[in-house]
Amino acid sequence: MVDSKQQWKAWLYLSPAIAILLVFTVWPIFNTVRMSLLEGYSGLKAAAGMTFEFGLGNFQKVIEYRRFLQCLQNTALLCVLTVPVSTLLALLIAVALNSIKPLQKILQTIFFLPYVTNSIAIGMVFAAMFNIVGSFYGTENEIIVTAGIINNVIEFFGGKPVNWINYGSTYVANITVMVVYIVWNALPFKILVLLGGLQSINKQYYDAAKVDGTPRRRVFARITVPLLSPMLAYVIITGFIGGFKEYTSIVGIFGEQMGPPDDAGRLNTMVGFIYDALSTNSQGRASAAALILFGIILAVTLFNNNVIKKHTHY
Amino acid sequence: MKVTLQNLTKIFPSRDKKAGSEVVAVNDFTFEIPDGKLIGLLGPSGCGKSTTLYMISGLQKPTSGRIFFGEDDVTELSTEHRGIGLVFQNYALYPHMTVKQNILFPLQNLKGKDKMTKEEMLERAIEAAKLVQIDELMDRKPSELSGGQQQRVAIARALVKMPRVLLLDEPLSNLDARLRLQTREEIRRIQKETGITTVFVTHDQEEAMSISDMIVVMKLGVVQQIGKPQEVYDDPKNLFVAKFLGTPPINVFNGQVKGGKLYIGQDAVLDVGDVADQEVAVGIRPEGFELAEDGAFACKLNNVEVMGRDVSIVSTNEASVNPVVRAIINADNKIDLTRAEVRFNLKPHKVFIFNKETEERIGFEVK
Amino acid sequence: MDKRVMKAKNMQQASLRSRTGKLTVQFFTYLFLIVMALIVLFPFYWMIISSLKTLEEYRLNVPTFWPKRIMFSNYAEAFTTANLGDLFVNTMIVGVSSTLLSLIITVLSAFAFARLEFKGRDTLFTLLLATMMIPGELFTITNYTTVTQLNWMNTYTVLVVPFLVSVFYIFLLRQNFLQIPNELYLAAKVDGTSDIKYLWKVMVPLALPTLISITILKMMGAWNSYMWPRLVANDEAHRLITNGLRNAFTTTSGDVNYPVQMAAVALVSAPLFLVFIFLRKYIMAGVSRSGIKG
Repeated sequence: MVDSKQQWKAWLYLSPAIAILLVFTVWPIFNTVRMSLLEGYSGLKAAAGMTFEFGLGNFQKVIEYRRFLQCLQNTALLCVLTVPVSTLLALLIAVALNSIKPLQKILQTIFFLPYVTNSIAIGMVFAAMFNIVGSFYGTENEIIVTAGIINNVIEFFGGKPVNWINYGSTYVANITVMVVYIVWNALPFKILVLLGGLQSINKQYYDAAKVDGTPRRRVFARITVPLLSPMLAYVIITGFIGGFKEYTSIVGIFGEQMGPPDDAGRLNTMVGFIYDALSTNSQGRASAAALILFGIILAVTLFNNNVIKKHTHY
Repeated sequence: MKVTLQNLTKIFPSRDKKAGSEVVAVNDFTFEIPDGKLIGLLGPSGCGKSTTLYMISGLQKPTSGRIFFGEDDVTELSTEHRGIGLVFQNYALYPHMTVKQNILFPLQNLKGKDKMTKEEMLERAIEAAKLVQIDELMDRKPSELSGGQQQRVAIARALVKMPRVLLLDEPLSNLDARLRLQTREEIRRIQKETGITTVFVTHDQEEAMSISDMIVVMKLGVVQQIGKPQEVYDDPKNLFVAKFLGTPPINVFNGQVKGGKLYIGQDAVLDVGDVADQEVAVGIRPEGFELAEDGAFACKLNNVEVMGRDVSIVSTNEASVNPVVRAIINADNKIDLTRAEVRFNLKPHKVFIFNKETEERIGFEVK
Repeated sequence: MDKRVMKAKNMQQASLRSRTGKLTVQFFTYLFLIVMALIVLFPFYWMIISSLKTLEEYRLNVPTFWPKRIMFSNYAEAFTTANLGDLFVNTMIVGVSSTLLSLIITVLSAFAFARLEFKGRDTLFTLLLATMMIPGELFTITNYTTVTQLNWMNTYTVLVVPFLVSVFYIFLLRQNFLQIPNELYLAAKVDGTSDIKYLWKVMVPLALPTLISITILKMMGAWNSYMWPRLVANDEAHRLITNGLRNAFTTTSGDVNYPVQMAAVALVSAPLFLVFIFLRKYIMAGVSRSGIKG
């Protein structure tokens, strides 16, 4: 039974949301597909009355573009490195937190703190910590005068200071810094979700295991992890999605040149590539890249879902 | 394996720290559970029966008192070293493992000289599954089983490592009525076959009476009475035990003893010998009534419920503590429903009198 | 020795071993957690002490873990260098107005989806949920053109309007509304209560925790947004705080006046921490359901 008064009332209530969604969500979906299929489409040129041929040229150009492959590589590398590390660390921390009583609340709050930060602002703090004062436009032989705190710590333990982010730093060093920062940033959400999951596991399973004298490690592997698997899956999938959209954390550390001073763009990501294309008014290319990003995220999600379905048991 | 509980006491600190009153869950419980027997811990919720079970299991530590398995003092021993099997109220089957994996799980924890080969483990698991008749369901997940089947898996998992003592926490409370009857027979059978000393907790007196070798009736942390079910039923130590055991429940009246006679209202219903004159509480089992034209005890007739073999006469009496008086008599007796009054004679061994204040039983000679 | 005594002894040892084992595990659990907590906290600590140091002290070869001379003047300098006052006002204007409008739209839509019956309701809702799969960058490309054509460049409007509707918030609130029994609505109808009054008097109070979560996340979103403002409103008059911070301190490596930069970062971070301290419960509840930052 649908009463007609409710009909128009419902549409009235929905109208502001629908109007905004039509303009800023629905139209862009169609328009992005359209622009991506018009070869070399540019908003400026279109406004000047130019027409474009229909074809897959944008996709081809994007894929052949050396910078794009670099972006893809950076994004994928960061995903593959950060998701497992942060998930594992978060799992260990969550399990440890769940097993203690005194100090649990305060530690939980501390571990959540990185979430309530501005990733650009705290990125600047990390940059300061990894920075090397004294070798900024330097040559290879220049002596490092003052190291950032990270290098101080390395030297304290007898290691050699590393040029992490400055002029002449290596790709490996740059990526390491990014991994540390992204993991630090990703921990709070994962710990929160996993701890929530742990606390909802029926305590009787642990009592039952205790009666059987199950060793701690086995309880973890055979009971905790399987029962937590839906939460783990959620955390891993959102981790991958977030990872493929990585951008601002790199801006935070390296600034908008997305790389050390001597190699701008070295650490650019998929999202960065899209914005670069957009700022040069190459909407066709930007659209193609955005659709590729969407395709990758979709594929990774589906792949993860499949793997997870095989390994979660209920 | 004989299990001995010695002055077992468990005090929980009060949850509200300011209020400061602590909760005595179990108070000074002493009892020796004979080897190979099935014991029912019985009482209303909050009486400390589950706490007692968890202390035997080692999942909770007693505040004071000792627990012995055989001659071994296990009070300080942690759960896994006690060699017990525990069946939880909600079974606590691992939802992500199959029946087989669930039953195998305890065996895979064994270390050192107890360690078994895969074949041995599987053999034992199948044996346990056969005992509880679920060997057809080995590859199912718990979610694909009925409540009764889950219950059996839980028992098999508890039995598979051949525990010295088997503990069951409210084993039947999650089953429907028909299954409950069937499963309690099953538990009795399994216990008989294995001969493992078994303790189970229940709030259902009928369940406890029907399968236990001995029952322990508890109230607010204090043991009220221990004994064989029939003995406790026939010879309750106090009003609480008398009221707690038996369906339909015992009829309770305000009465008094005067000159060796027991009065309920104006009726002198029974000779009680040399009991001193006093106010008393009187308990009469439903089966303690006999219809008699010239009976000593008169009640107002309400109605009659036919229960097949027996009939239940529902009546009222001014002195009754309960709203109605229920008498169960043989169906052969013909009752005239048009009459306003029924008269009974009482069977002396089905009548109990209790001190009005302490509610302790007052014994009397049956002539 | 008597076999029984031996057995008792073995059991005692076993129990002793398991107890010391438990203590060691406890010790290492705490050790691990505290070390991890210190690592997590370190950047904040470093930010604060660096912001209070003189430039000379910051550049010392051997780092100091507590400033020798506390330089509050760094904060004043940061405040003026980055023009934080104006940025703060801009961000608040955008944050408050977008939060209020967004709440109204979200409540109305969630109510329609949860309580009203209309043709195509479930299809529409499913379609909306499907859009959540799509990365936001895909919309940005077209929206950039759209707002240019609408002549919205460098206005507050462009920072507020495009993000007013969040499908996720509608979803969240709808779930919340659905838990309120429909009988309440029918009873209100019998009493002649209008929809709006019912919404305001019954549903909104009952869904208040969710609404607070949405408010905080939305405000944090305005505080942390970076890409879209940079594209469409990067002029002095409308610039938001994150962009302002990034613009004021373009270089992050090399010979930078870090104490002042860290003071600016601390000033930008402080409001977030304050909000977190007072509304932790709502933030954590909202976040565990969303997984979206800001």
